[in-house]
Amino acid sequence: MSNTINYGIDLGTTNSVIARYNAGKVEIYKNPVGHKETLPSVVAFRKERIIVGDKAREYLEKDPENVAGSFKRKMGTTESFFFKSIGEFKTPQELSAIVLKELKNFVYTGEKVNAAVITIPASFDTIQSNATKKAGYDAGFEEVLLLQEPIAASLAYANKDDQQEDSEGQWLVYDLGGGTFDVALVKIGDGEMKVVDHQGDNFLGGLDFDNRIIDKIIIPHLEKTGRFDNPGQELKSAKGKYNRLYYQLLAKAEEAKVLLSAKDSIEIEFEIEDRNGESVEMVIVITKTDFENSIRDLVTSTIDMTRQIIERNNLDVSKLNHVLMIGGSTYMPIVRRMVGEAFGIPVNCNIDPTTAVAVGAAYYAGTRTRTRSSINLKKHDNAPGEAVPDNLQPAPVKIRVAYQKTSQDAQEYFTAAVEGNFQGLFYRITRDDGGFDSGLKALAARISEMLQLIRSTVNNFTFRIYDAQNNPMSCDVPPISIVQGKYNVLGQPLPNDICIEVDDYENNTTRLEVIFEKNSILPLKRTITKNITKTLRKGSTDSVMINIVEGQHTAHPSTNPSIGCIQVVGKDLNRDLLKGTDIEITLEMSESRDLRISTYLLMTDQEFTNLFSPSERQVNIDKLRDEIHDMMKRIAADTKDAERREDYELAQKLTMLGHEFEDLAAEINALSTDDITDRKYQLEDRKRKLAQRVDALTRDKHITEAMQEYFEYKEWCKDLIDAHGNPDEKKRYEELVAREKQVMSANSVIRVRDAVKDYSRLGGPIQWRIPEKLVGIFYWLATTRKDELRDQTKADRYIEMGDKAIERKNYEELRVVINNLVQLLPPDKQFIDMKGTGIG
Amino acid sequence: MIIHNQEQLLKIVNQVYDLERKTAAKEEFAGLQRNIGRIRDAFSEMGLHWASPEGEPYNDTRTDCEASIAGESSENLYISEVLKPIVWIKDGGLQYIIQKAVVIAESQT
Repeated sequence: MSNTINYGIDLGTTNSVIARYNAGKVEIYKNPVGHKETLPSVVAFRKERIIVGDKAREYLEKDPENVAGSFKRKMGTTESFFFKSIGEFKTPQELSAIVLKELKNFVYTGEKVNAAVITIPASFDTIQSNATKKAGYDAGFEEVLLLQEPIAASLAYANKDDQQEDSEGQWLVYDLGGGTFDVALVKIGDGEMKVVDHQGDNFLGGLDFDNRIIDKIIIPHLEKTGRFDNPGQELKSAKGKYNRLYYQLLAKAEEAKVLLSAKDSIEIEFEIEDRNGESVEMVIVITKTDFENSIRDLVTSTIDMTRQIIERNNLDVSKLNHVLMIGGSTYMPIVRRMVGEAFGIPVNCNIDPTTAVAVGAAYYAGTRTRTRSSINLKKHDNAPGEAVPDNLQPAPVKIRVAYQKTSQDAQEYFTAAVEGNFQGLFYRITRDDGGFDSGLKALAARISEMLQLIRSTVNNFTFRIYDAQNNPMSCDVPPISIVQGKYNVLGQPLPNDICIEVDDYENNTTRLEVIFEKNSILPLKRTITKNITKTLRKGSTDSVMINIVEGQHTAHPSTNPSIGCIQVVGKDLNRDLLKGTDIEITLEMSESRDLRISTYLLMTDQEFTNLFSPSERQVNIDKLRDEIHDMMKRIAADTKDAERREDYELAQKLTMLGHEFEDLAAEINALSTDDITDRKYQLEDRKRKLAQRVDALTRDKHITEAMQEYFEYKEWCKDLIDAHGNPDEKKRYEELVAREKQVMSANSVIRVRDAVKDYSRLGGPIQWRIPEKLVGIFYWLATTRKDELRDQTKADRYIEMGDKAIERKNYEELRVVINNLVQLLPPDKQFIDMKGTGIG
Repeated sequence: MIIHNQEQLLKIVNQVYDLERKTAAKEEFAGLQRNIGRIRDAFSEMGLHWASPEGEPYNDTRTDCEASIAGESSENLYISEVLKPIVWIKDGGLQYIIQKAVVIAESQT
């Protein structure tokens, strides 16, 4: 158990961040809602709920009576914020405590945060500093240390990649954030780092730059067209004609600002109605120069403030080590360039400007020992990464919840009755995908909430209780699960996967691809695009088959029942359908599980549709014959293999099954294609059961083979990656290895083979980059396979070209030669021919 | 499903969404709908899907959207415009949001 404070918090004017020091590294925690590292320092009291962060900021301008931001500026003053919805005043200290409590929620490990280093601006006096400290205690910290922001940033830099700061020296910390600017002179002497002087503007930051794009570029452009009346006023007035567009433009301006950091020009496009009511599509090109000219005076003002510090302290600029840049707005190249040009000293952009202060605070916290009393109080402390749900204090309440488990609405009403001592406790409900957050609300005898639902899916919510310091408590409310969508007796969640049968050339068989997963809520619709794998001549009897089966997608197609099948036959085509062209297949399943299959052939512009009802089994006699034929081939191969391995018991069982298939084939051959009796259904059922028996007998063998192949490919890929892989390929390899357990536990040949393909896809391109491998493939084709090459004259020419390419070490050319030689191999040696479905 | 270059993919998704929006509004682009639908389906096979919350009610519990509130009132809001859609990713049976919608909300009254 650590006895250092470890947690560092940047309690910013605009945004706040929490980070933790652990064994020499700092982790920045993300907001569990939205996964951002920063939390806007904005608090709202709206309709009995406390909202902190992004949602509160949205209402800052439009509901100022219930939302407060930038309260850090008022820290330590007598000024308070009145919230109309609760009829109460809140001090900046209280509001800061709420932000700090919310930051504790970011700590996903469940560790109880009871001590922290909180940063303060260099300009804070004693009263402001004490108020910040008190806010920390109000938030439930038992120990709070304060650290000035420029010092924290300097520590972040000093600790980055073991940078060694000189024991003597001074530098500037230039902090241009979302809404404020600060610059400080930091000095180190006798091992002590201190802020010597500072200067700032509380109303200058990122938003001002976005607004400049609108004011200086977009509005003048609109005015120049002469088609709009007072565009500036109409955009910015709440009652203005273009007020909605203003917010759209603000979002686009922010995006443009980011893009112009890397590009020389960008386009902003939007639609606007002119004075005659005509919709105009505007495309405004903004160059980097336009943008920089529009904000130059703002950046100049920050430089002037920096210069004032230098002059005030009679500094020789050349004696400064560097200017350390922090705050999100320092990402802009113009800021870095102008600061560099103004002072002629290195501009240091080596640390993440948005999190540097919290990171520095965490480094500092990692060196500060907790007081004994604080450690003794630390009952729930755990190492990072350890979830501690069992250690949570139980909430002294009993809760009974009520809600509809299914809903057709966009929102569902949730209510709960609470018994016990709920005074001072809070609750919060969040949706597991991160799309809903009730905010923190006081627990009461009866609570209720409208839960926002995602359409046509299962919505899972979590109910949590918190104490007054926002520490989570354990409670007995199980996860809340609501199914949204039309949901009646007939339209249940799918009991099985619905799959399409496609060709599997590598294994000379067919396989299933899942279209609708088990438990999906009906109705369902999906369109997929597949390749036609054989040419269909107009007027011929050749066909491609779209076969839809129900059952586990990892099983062999013949073991699952077909629920719908469409055959596209050459005689129905208006022109030849060439191999390699696309077929678009749309599958719709209604609430009552009627299946509608539509196929659209892009090449012939033809559509084929069929509706299948679940009470009507679909059996295609031709397909049944093909399947039986394939099964007999498969059994013969497996029997031979079993005999080779001297597994005579298995060989005998397979032989008997083979005989049963032969009988079945004879019976099917006796049926006419248009047979109207039930016989075909009975035979199909028998085939399925027999196929399942074959599958069960040979599954172990096939899985063992697939796994053997898997490990061979994995090893092969590892060797290639170790010797020739780039960082991306290494990462991808690690991801594949991480999935191994999941792949193996599925006990599915198809799943293992898919994983083999993944390794093959990863290793293949690497192999083609390695000259020795290319040379090896070339000589193998030119010698071992030479007799099989169809055109020996051409082959000799390619081989000669290959030899020369090797001599010149021109491996690009060698690759082309190899491709050409492969083309000369007989088609059946390039890939395996099979009947299949005709789609893949 | 493992998604690489998520940021780049989201840029493409946002463009496809924009195409969907623009072509849906104009009849002369009806022919493009099928192609756009196929792009959407391809993304769906990668585990990515998106939805526009346009027209839905908006309030401060909706953490699936980043809203700018236009007009004078902040009560009884609905989503009047969607600049970027909500994007989810499916990963091993779990579904989570990788992009919040960027929307403009306005009062209905």
